[in-house]
Amino acid sequence: MVADEPTFARLMAATQNGDKAAGNVLLSEAGVWLERYFRRRVPPHQIDDLVQEVLIAFYTKRGTWDPARPFLPWLAAIARYRWVDHLRKVYKHDSQELMDDDAAQDSEEEVVLARVSLDRLFGQLPEKQAEVIEMVKIGGLSIREAAEKTGQSESLVKVNIHRGLKKMATLVEKAE
Amino acid sequence: MEKYNNRADLIAAMTEDLTPVRRVKRSDGIALIAFTTVVAAVASIAVFEWWSGLLTGEASGYFLITHGLLLILGAASTASLVSGALPRVGARATAPMWGAAMLATLPIGAVLSLLSGHESHASSGLNDPVAFMCTTASLSAGALVGIASVLWLRRGAPVSIERSGWLTGLAAGSLGTLAYGITCPLDTFSHVGLWHVAPVAISAVIGRLVVPPLIRW
Repeated sequence: MVADEPTFARLMAATQNGDKAAGNVLLSEAGVWLERYFRRRVPPHQIDDLVQEVLIAFYTKRGTWDPARPFLPWLAAIARYRWVDHLRKVYKHDSQELMDDDAAQDSEEEVVLARVSLDRLFGQLPEKQAEVIEMVKIGGLSIREAAEKTGQSESLVKVNIHRGLKKMATLVEKAE
Repeated sequence: MEKYNNRADLIAAMTEDLTPVRRVKRSDGIALIAFTTVVAAVASIAVFEWWSGLLTGEASGYFLITHGLLLILGAASTASLVSGALPRVGARATAPMWGAAMLATLPIGAVLSLLSGHESHASSGLNDPVAFMCTTASLSAGALVGIASVLWLRRGAPVSIERSGWLTGLAAGSLGTLAYGITCPLDTFSHVGLWHVAPVAISAVIGRLVVPPLIRW
């Protein structure tokens, strides 16, 4: 069972004061909470890396939590920031596909949920941008193949991918 | 920090290194930016001399209104900027946007006034001989505020990087212009409405372009 808000807040206050035992419990519980948080946001095989990244950010920036304010929104804000950063990195590198082969080994439900979240983002993009991002970044087609399939020029495919990804990152960042 | 294959190892390593941490407080950020604004004002007075007309009642209403709005915009953007260094989710303050909108009415009014031909003062409008000096001096004073803001943001954990860039530019521009403005003896509507507002817009754009890479974490 994941800890509740008052427990998290109590553990965090102790952690800020250097209590190692509280810190250990807090980091473990935060890890579980983050796993749930990311389950609907990234493909399953990327979750653990992202959770580790957020835990490191959490640890480094632990002084920025104000004990007068709730803990979980603070953690969620850091998680979302790292998620946006992660999306940028993943989409930037052609070698890193959103849906690698090993995703098939994870539960179907999780894969579907990760896609649902991405599909909702795609729904907010112009059709031409969503189409080429899906073909190149998820389907693994080359720029030329996507250009041939869609009838767009290669430069336009590149521009649409770039603009679409930028808009997706902005949409995620702005979502409250 | 290095990446671990196993999350438990990462947690164990972080727990081992855990030490008490100094909390990042909003009041510290506000005090830092307020102090830097005072330093910028003192530096402006040292370079350009204090304009006594401010206290003798010589300053025009336009001058007082413009600098009052700059103060309000500076306070609103500082408050939002400082809060933005502490991660949170939820509604964002819109005060800086409304403050900037209020300030934007001044240059519009100044241009309309110039077009109607009512302004005949030598230092009016686009031919203003001291426009460049007022703009650059305001931007220089604002740079001090901008540096302090970036240092504060780097201490914190801003999660809306682009917004923090805009806010840094707005705070630096408005407080920097205010700090310099108290030394400027030109108080016509067209002068303060144009050249004591332009640095805010320029600074906001610079902030948006320059600050994000400096505060990304």
